[in-house]
Amino acid sequence: MSAASAWQLSQSHRVLIVSLDPAHNLGDIFGVVLNHKKHRFTDSLYLKEVNLQKLCREYLERETRVLTDTYRYLQTINLDHYFSVLKYSPGIEEYALLTSIEETLRFQKDFDYIVFDTPPTGLTLRFLALPRITVTWIDRLVQIRRDILEKRHTIYRIRGILDDKETILSYDEKDDDILKRLKTLKGNYQTLSSRLQGEDCGIVLVYNPDTLSLKESKRLIDGLRDLKLPLRLLINNKIQIKYKAMADHVDSAMQALAPAVPIQRVALSESLLDGQNSTLYDISETILSPFEMK
Amino acid sequence: MTTLIIFVGFFLYLILYLTYGKKLERDVVKVSNEQPTPSHRLYDGVDYIPARKEVLLGHHFASIAGAAPIIGPALAICWGWAPALLWVWLGNIFIGAVHDYLSLMASVRYDGKSVQFVATDLIGKRTGYAFYWIVFFLLILVVAAFAAIIGGMFVRTPAIASAYLYKIIAALILGVLIYRVKMNFSLATIIGIAMLGFAIWLGVETPIKASYTTWMWVFFFYIFIVSAIPVNVLLQPRDYLNSWLLYAGLVLGFVAAVFAFKGFEVPAFAGFSPVLLGGKPTPFWPAIPLVIACGSLSGFHSLVASGTSSKQLDKETDGLVIGYGAMFLEGFLSTIVVVSIAGFGYTALKTAAAAKAIGFNLNASNWGATFTIISGKLGLSKANLFVQSYADMVASTWLSFIPAQYVKVLAGMWVASFAMTTLDTTNRLARYCLSEMAAPLKESSAGLYNVLTNRWVASIIPATIGIYLAASGNWLVIWGSFGAANQLIASIALMTGAAYVAKKLKSGFANAAVIPAWLLWITVTAAFIWFILFVQPGAIAAKPVPGWAVMIILVVMFLLNFLFIFDFVKSKSYKKAE
Amino acid sequence: MISSMVRWVRRIFADFDATHREKAAALTVMEMEELENIFALLLIGSFAGFSSPPTFLAVELLPYMERELQILCKRAKDCNDMLAEMCGTIGID
Repeated sequence: MSAASAWQLSQSHRVLIVSLDPAHNLGDIFGVVLNHKKHRFTDSLYLKEVNLQKLCREYLERETRVLTDTYRYLQTINLDHYFSVLKYSPGIEEYALLTSIEETLRFQKDFDYIVFDTPPTGLTLRFLALPRITVTWIDRLVQIRRDILEKRHTIYRIRGILDDKETILSYDEKDDDILKRLKTLKGNYQTLSSRLQGEDCGIVLVYNPDTLSLKESKRLIDGLRDLKLPLRLLINNKIQIKYKAMADHVDSAMQALAPAVPIQRVALSESLLDGQNSTLYDISETILSPFEMK
Repeated sequence: MTTLIIFVGFFLYLILYLTYGKKLERDVVKVSNEQPTPSHRLYDGVDYIPARKEVLLGHHFASIAGAAPIIGPALAICWGWAPALLWVWLGNIFIGAVHDYLSLMASVRYDGKSVQFVATDLIGKRTGYAFYWIVFFLLILVVAAFAAIIGGMFVRTPAIASAYLYKIIAALILGVLIYRVKMNFSLATIIGIAMLGFAIWLGVETPIKASYTTWMWVFFFYIFIVSAIPVNVLLQPRDYLNSWLLYAGLVLGFVAAVFAFKGFEVPAFAGFSPVLLGGKPTPFWPAIPLVIACGSLSGFHSLVASGTSSKQLDKETDGLVIGYGAMFLEGFLSTIVVVSIAGFGYTALKTAAAAKAIGFNLNASNWGATFTIISGKLGLSKANLFVQSYADMVASTWLSFIPAQYVKVLAGMWVASFAMTTLDTTNRLARYCLSEMAAPLKESSAGLYNVLTNRWVASIIPATIGIYLAASGNWLVIWGSFGAANQLIASIALMTGAAYVAKKLKSGFANAAVIPAWLLWITVTAAFIWFILFVQPGAIAAKPVPGWAVMIILVVMFLLNFLFIFDFVKSKSYKKAE
Repeated sequence: MISSMVRWVRRIFADFDATHREKAAALTVMEMEELENIFALLLIGSFAGFSSPPTFLAVELLPYMERELQILCKRAKDCNDMLAEMCGTIGID
């Protein structure tokens, strides 16, 4: 779906489509092989597939380099070993994803539209919630950090410096590297959070005309509402004439869940079912009209 | 006589420190400054920081000094002043200080790990685990003993109660000044001391009268509230003020004792088994360690020495002054107490009897049989006797320009402050012990484990048992049990230390540790047997519920004692040298 | 002679002062260390063998957390031996 929309949009705008789906279908759809770099399909349509594994690895390599510089010899060796385990951890994956979106938004400025194709519901909701959860957690950590600095200040006032060997512990907020870093991170995530919630961003929910999809979508809509993320378009995909009644039913249910959001319908391509090479061009040109820039 | 004894005590400690102490250092512990201590080897700027020995001594001494070195001698005077003094001197020099010193040095050699850890290593896991149980009982008994002492003091001299209340307010204010406002430390100290003086004066002006039972309830709630609030609100500033009280009391007491020039009115030797614990004839051996604990020998010190002091020892040679020397200082404190009571206690009792207009027939011949009973009747037992004698002693010297009532309140505050601090710190520690004791239940009965380790439940159990025992009277039995628990730990710690020097170090002079260790163990075991068979049944007859509570505690500890010696004899470290 | 006596007296006062400051700060120091331990545990507990999930925040902050890591590892090693240390710091008397 996102591929189609991206194509349509690229008829009149410059579009970058980024696939975050671990299924890596984007390249297959366009008939090209994508590595994780931006690939120029046409002048106005660029494709990119995000390789999650690679992303994590790169991310961790970056951090390891910082560590090597900061830590002494002995400790680096121990931590090094640990990092090889880290790259499989779920938390890192989601954060790496989020970081990649954030960076894309920051650096790819010469596009009119950036379309992100996201993985299935559960994962998406989780990582869309990340900025807000992270901000909350950072707040708690900042509070503890402040308490620690407060106590250090008290101790310094009472005791002064004990001896030369003792490293001077920072007790001023201005001097504490950790606190400064926490605040920077909080800023980043708040920015990302507001970006996602803002005017420039919109979420397109693609569902199928069956009850299972309906239920899943309900969960998604509730989740998006909780996160205050703007749902702008609903697309009912793969509708078949003979099941139109079902499609109507699902559509009205969806509309009830999200009253202000327009619904578009896309028919299931018969030729696709027949296994023939089908083109994407059959999809309506106006598929993303709600998103058209004013 | 007072003056003479003070100087004898002083020189005895000094000379033996320099001779026997040095011998211990050289031949038993085999101290060497070539070996860096954990504070250097494991330096982390957190716990392992070398401290100058003078500073560490101050810290260590303040941790071990408290109310117990005062109470013990006040009771032991029933044997006459000579036995009491002999135990304070010789028991300290050859057993108590050795115990402290060995605990410290063994811990230093074990990378600053606690004596509990060393015992686990040298003897067995059960012994390490038993520490939690014995310390837990010790904490309950301490709460009971001290609450009763303070209650008695507050009833007899209400001025102390109000002075203490004002002191708490002063501590709260000081806490805000030092930890919130972060005022200049010296300035805050001066304000704190001034507030302390003011509290004493105001206490005398506005005494608070209340009944013993009322005070018990007050203490019960006090324990809860104070052990739940952050430590820098009350605990820390209060502790800080306490140390100034300690110095004031010590200095005043020392000067007064030197200049008192009074003969002793109390008989030197009043019989081997005067009436004391549980109203029964109490044989000097084995009961003396139960009566005089902290001034001479105290198991709790091994935990302090191996808990924090060992991690901050700069050089191995510093260990002598800190482990051995600090104990001598405390012994000296007890000496001052004995001297003041021996010199002035008799008159104090006589005056009190006259004031109450009851017959007074206490003299040298019936001292042993009647001292405890009479002093109890006159409300001048334990701390009260000390407070009165101390005040009288100061008043008899050129220091008499200080009004006696203020001195009394000062002495009372000294005892009360340390005792009250104990009430809530023991609660904090007891909570921890309880959760460690309950650890084996985690797998087998998770429900019970969760209940026991709940913060409030873990707080209520020791507080309730402690205060209940305090309220139910029969204080002497409680004090004896507290002593028993304390000396049981001492026995384990000294045995551990002895095992360390004998087996691991193979020191030539190891007998200096091994003989006292066995002597102590035999004494403690005998004391337990005597207590369980001869004293406690009387207590149970008088008041069944508290009687049985204490009996159960005693029996459990007694069994742990045997378990310990069994594990010890069986352990590899014992077999190695045989 | 006099000057060395004066020096000696001064030394005593300095030690006295230092002892008091130590004592007044002792519990706060313990509190601070425990808080640092907690902070470290929350953030990077997995690096000391605890089962908390490592997060990217932990990795981000790791370069600055040398002291905290030390405390974490030390506490993890010592947490079974805390009775004596607490008795020493809090004190029963």
